[in-house]
Amino acid sequence: METNVRMILFKEDQVDQASEAIETLHHHGISDKDISVISGVPFSEKILGRPMSWTRVPQIAVAGALFGFIIAMLLNFLVPNLYKLSVGGMPLTPIPTSIVVTFELTMLGLLISTFLGVFIEMLSPSFGPKGYHPKISDGYIGILFNCPTHADEDTCFELQDLGAEIVDVSEVKQP
Amino acid sequence: MAADVKPFIGSKASPHQESEADELRKEHLMLDPMPRDEMNQMVMEAMTTTTRNWWAWVIGLGLAVAVLLFGVWGYMIATGMGVAGIRRPVFWGIFIVTFVFWIGISHAGTFVSAILRVFKAEFRRPFTRAAELMTTFGLAAGALYPLIHLGRVWVFYWMVPYPNARWLWPNFRSALVWDFLAITTYLLSSTIYLFLPLIPDMAMARDRSTGWRHFIYKLLALGWRGTEAEWFRLRKAISIFAFAIIPVMFSVHTIVSWDFAVSMVSGWQSSIFGPYFIIGAILSGVSAVVTILYILRSTMKHMDYFIRKEHFDALGKLILIFSMAWAYFFFNEYILAWYGGDAALKQVLTLHATGPSAWVWYTMLICNVAIPWLFLWNKKVRRTPWLMFIITILVNVGMYAERYTIIPLTLGHQRSPFDWGIYNPTIIEVSIALGTLCLFIFLYLIASRIIPLVPIWEVQEGQMSHTLRKVGKTEIPSVTELE
Repeated sequence: METNVRMILFKEDQVDQASEAIETLHHHGISDKDISVISGVPFSEKILGRPMSWTRVPQIAVAGALFGFIIAMLLNFLVPNLYKLSVGGMPLTPIPTSIVVTFELTMLGLLISTFLGVFIEMLSPSFGPKGYHPKISDGYIGILFNCPTHADEDTCFELQDLGAEIVDVSEVKQP
Repeated sequence: MAADVKPFIGSKASPHQESEADELRKEHLMLDPMPRDEMNQMVMEAMTTTTRNWWAWVIGLGLAVAVLLFGVWGYMIATGMGVAGIRRPVFWGIFIVTFVFWIGISHAGTFVSAILRVFKAEFRRPFTRAAELMTTFGLAAGALYPLIHLGRVWVFYWMVPYPNARWLWPNFRSALVWDFLAITTYLLSSTIYLFLPLIPDMAMARDRSTGWRHFIYKLLALGWRGTEAEWFRLRKAISIFAFAIIPVMFSVHTIVSWDFAVSMVSGWQSSIFGPYFIIGAILSGVSAVVTILYILRSTMKHMDYFIRKEHFDALGKLILIFSMAWAYFFFNEYILAWYGGDAALKQVLTLHATGPSAWVWYTMLICNVAIPWLFLWNKKVRRTPWLMFIITILVNVGMYAERYTIIPLTLGHQRSPFDWGIYNPTIIEVSIALGTLCLFIFLYLIASRIIPLVPIWEVQEGQMSHTLRKVGKTEIPSVTELE
C-alpha cells in the first residue's frame, strides 16, 4: 500500500486533542508502528494512549556495573599478588579496604555505561516515521504518521477539525 | 497548561479570590506559566547577551587564573615546595583545606538535583542546572589540589594503576588512593549527570541559533527530536543517575574524611567524621547555590522570572536544618573527646578555643551556627535575596574556617609538645587558593553564556503539572503526577 509521511502539530495545551488525533489515526487503520509522537516535554505513553516504549539502558547499566565490579576484583585481588607490596605486616588483600575500591569502580561502571547506553540508543536507527520540526522545542506536540494515499484527504480533514496544524511535507526535516 | 483557577461550583470567583490567585502566581514559578517559546526566548537571550561588564570580569578573572593559579603554581614547581608554608609539624595546610572546601561545594549539585529530584521537591526545577554546574566546576577546582600538593607533579602518572617497568603500584589500602578513585568517579558521573538533562535544551538552542553556536549545539544535542522513545530512555537514565549518584556523593566526602580519620592523629581519628563531613559539605554546597542564584538573578537577563523569593526561602530552610545538623555533629564530636579525657585530645580542643588561632574557631561557630540560627528562622530574611547572599557567603567562610581548624590547627598540636608549631600560610598558598576561586567563577561565567542555565523542559513540565485548586473558600496549589 502506498503511503505518505504526514506531520501534524498541536499546541502545548492541546494534549487532549493530540490523544484524540492518535485515536482517529487508529480508526483509519494506521497502526502504532506507523505513528511517532515527538514533543518538547515528556508525556507518558498513558497520557497519549500509546504503547510503552522500550529501552535497553537499564540492562546496559547493569552490564557496566558488572564490568566495573570485575575490574575492581582484579585490582583488589589479582594485582596485589602480581606486584607484591608488603606494608608493615598488613594482609596483601584485605577485604574491608577492598570494599571501598569495589564500590567506587562498580558505581563508575554503572554510571558511565548508563550514559553510553543513552548515547548508543540515540545514535542507533529508530523505527517509525522520521522527521522533525523546530516548533517541537517550542512546546508543540508533533504526530508523524505514514498515511495511506487513498485516505490522506479524509484523515487530514478530521485532524484539522481537532485543531491540528498540518505541516507541509517540505518542512518536515531531520534536526 | 495555564494555572487553572476553579471557582465555586455555580458561582464566579470573587475579586478577592482572583487577587489571591494572582498573589500565588506571583509567588510560585510553577503557577505562573508562560508559553514555551517565550521561555525559550528568555533563556536564549540571557545566554547570548554579553555586556561590557561581563567581558571585563572574564578578562580580569582569566588573567587572575593565569597569574594567581598557574603562574604561582609554576613558580612553586620551579622553586620547590619550600616556598609553601607547610613544614614540620604541619604538612597539610591551605592546599588540603581548600581541596576539602571545593569537594564540599561540589555536593550542592547532587544534593539539589538528585536528592530533591528523588523526593520530588518541585521548587528545585529552575535551578538544578545551576547547582549541577557548581558540582562540576567545584570538582574541577578541587581536583587540582592533589596535584598541587604533590609537589613533583610531573610524576603524577606514578599513581595511575598500570603495569610498569618501575614495579610501582598504587597501594589500594591507602585512603589517598580511595580519594583518587572517588573523586574521579564523582567528577565523571556528575559531568554526565549535568549533560543528560541538558540534551533537550541543547536541541532547543540548536533550533534557535546559527553559526558556531548552532554547530556546537547540534553536536551536543545528539540528534534529539523528542520522540517518545528518546524521552523514555532519558528519564530512565536520569532516574538511574539520580539514585546511583547519591551513594557516590556520600562516599566521596566520607572518603575525604577518611583521609583524616584513618590516621592516628588526635582530633582526627573519629568514627563520625564521615557523616560530619557530609553534613558540612551539604551545608556549604547549598549555601553556595544560594550565593550563585543571587548573582545569576541580579546579573542575567530574565532570571528574576525563573529564580524567585520562594526559592531563596526554601533553600534558606534547608540551610537552617543543615546548620543544626552540623552543630549536632560538631557537639557530638566535641563532647565525646572532652568527656573521654584523652590528654592529647583535650589539649588540642583547648588550643582550638584559646590558642593564638582561636579566632578561626570562633569564626567557624559564629558563621556556621550563630548567624544561620539567628536569622534564618525568619521568613522575611529568607525571602530577602541580598540578605541570603550575605548569610550564605558567611556560612562558607565558616565552613572554610572549620576545615582550617580541623587540618592545620589540629596538626600543629599533637602528642609531643616539643614538636608543636604554628602554621603560617605563605602568599604562594593563599594566591593558589584565590586562583582556584577565580577559576571556578571564570568557568561559571563562560558556561553561563554557552549552556542554558535553566532546564526549560523541566520548568514547563512542572508548570503543566501544577494547578490552583479550590478547597473550601480558598485556592491552593495542587500537583498532578504526570510521570
